[in-house]
Amino acid sequence: MPKRLKKPRFPVYIRTSIVQNGRRTNNRYPLSIFKKKDLPYDLSNFTILIVEDSEHMQNLMASMLKVFGVGEILACANGTEAQDLLTVLQASKKSKYLTSVDIVLMDWLMPKGNGEQLLDWIRKSEKDAIRFLPVIVVSGYTTEYIAAKARDMGANETLVKPISGTNLAGRICSVIDHPRPFIKSSDFFGPDRRRHNVAYEGRERRSTPAEEVKVKSNG
Amino acid sequence: MADGIKAEMYKIANRLKARMGARYKDQEEGFLAPDVIEEADKLITQLCEICPDVIAKHLENLSALWDKMRDMPNSAERTETAEKIFTLSHEIKDMGSMCGYGLIAYFAESLRDYIDRTDLNLKAQVVIIQAHLDAMQMCHRKGFRTDAGPEAEELKKMVKMAIDKYH
Repeated sequence: MPKRLKKPRFPVYIRTSIVQNGRRTNNRYPLSIFKKKDLPYDLSNFTILIVEDSEHMQNLMASMLKVFGVGEILACANGTEAQDLLTVLQASKKSKYLTSVDIVLMDWLMPKGNGEQLLDWIRKSEKDAIRFLPVIVVSGYTTEYIAAKARDMGANETLVKPISGTNLAGRICSVIDHPRPFIKSSDFFGPDRRRHNVAYEGRERRSTPAEEVKVKSNG
Repeated sequence: MADGIKAEMYKIANRLKARMGARYKDQEEGFLAPDVIEEADKLITQLCEICPDVIAKHLENLSALWDKMRDMPNSAERTETAEKIFTLSHEIKDMGSMCGYGLIAYFAESLRDYIDRTDLNLKAQVVIIQAHLDAMQMCHRKGFRTDAGPEAEELKKMVKMAIDKYH
């Protein structure tokens, strides 16, 4: 039996059809020729998991994401539920690297499995599909301590309540635009905590300019 | 890096950008359409319209829990009830700060933090939690919104006195 080809999940080309002097001309342009600044992000292929215990806040965030055009929105009331859901979704994908969830948006303070526990579970997961998940922590605490703690536990972004459309959109775009490499050390696993490459301002101690340093390759 | 400390770096493909199609593969920063952001902000406004009712209901639940907890001896049940009060005050804080009820949010946050960091000392708790509840209920009844102004300062002073005296 011939193998059925899968339809691509997103359009790669734009087709145009122009009739001139009774003659039809069909053209196909790659989408990449259009300047991105004219095209807002299309999140219709995205699945975002909201983990929030407050029903009102959960509904609000889900409605906001729907307005943003997010294709699928999943919601859990606490960290324990979210762990179960992520495990099931990952298993259903039958892949070590894929899960149906693209971004996790989690509250920090929840009864029955708070954000801290969930984030810890995600980053310590043996499945790559789970441990590399982008996580945005939404916190009602306004102290820097929580933001620093979330960052040190491997959160990609922190969003302090009260949330606004601009803030939420900004964090989502940041996760998409700036995927930082993951760092694994003895006491940390998560996105690189250094967001900027800041030039060194101290006294120059190197005697050889960096570009003149020869790197020996084993390969 | 000090000797013996190892760190590994994983550079992973940007799956999120790839999911949006070929046009987003470049390094440029993207954005969401301003009209959808505006629409999302309208949803917050809609939530804020029902905020007083939600806060009223939460305050009612908070009072009921407190009535149950007030004369309870130190026990697992009391700890559980205190946890419920903690969660509820956190929720009031979220709603209040989201919808411009800064004074209620202030007291709810203060109550949440107080419960979070104190041991279950019956005498102190009775006075301090009661002071917070009274302050929140007064804010709600009288419609005090911002956490500035003479009334706000008066209420804050009252709660602070209770905390300083018994804590």
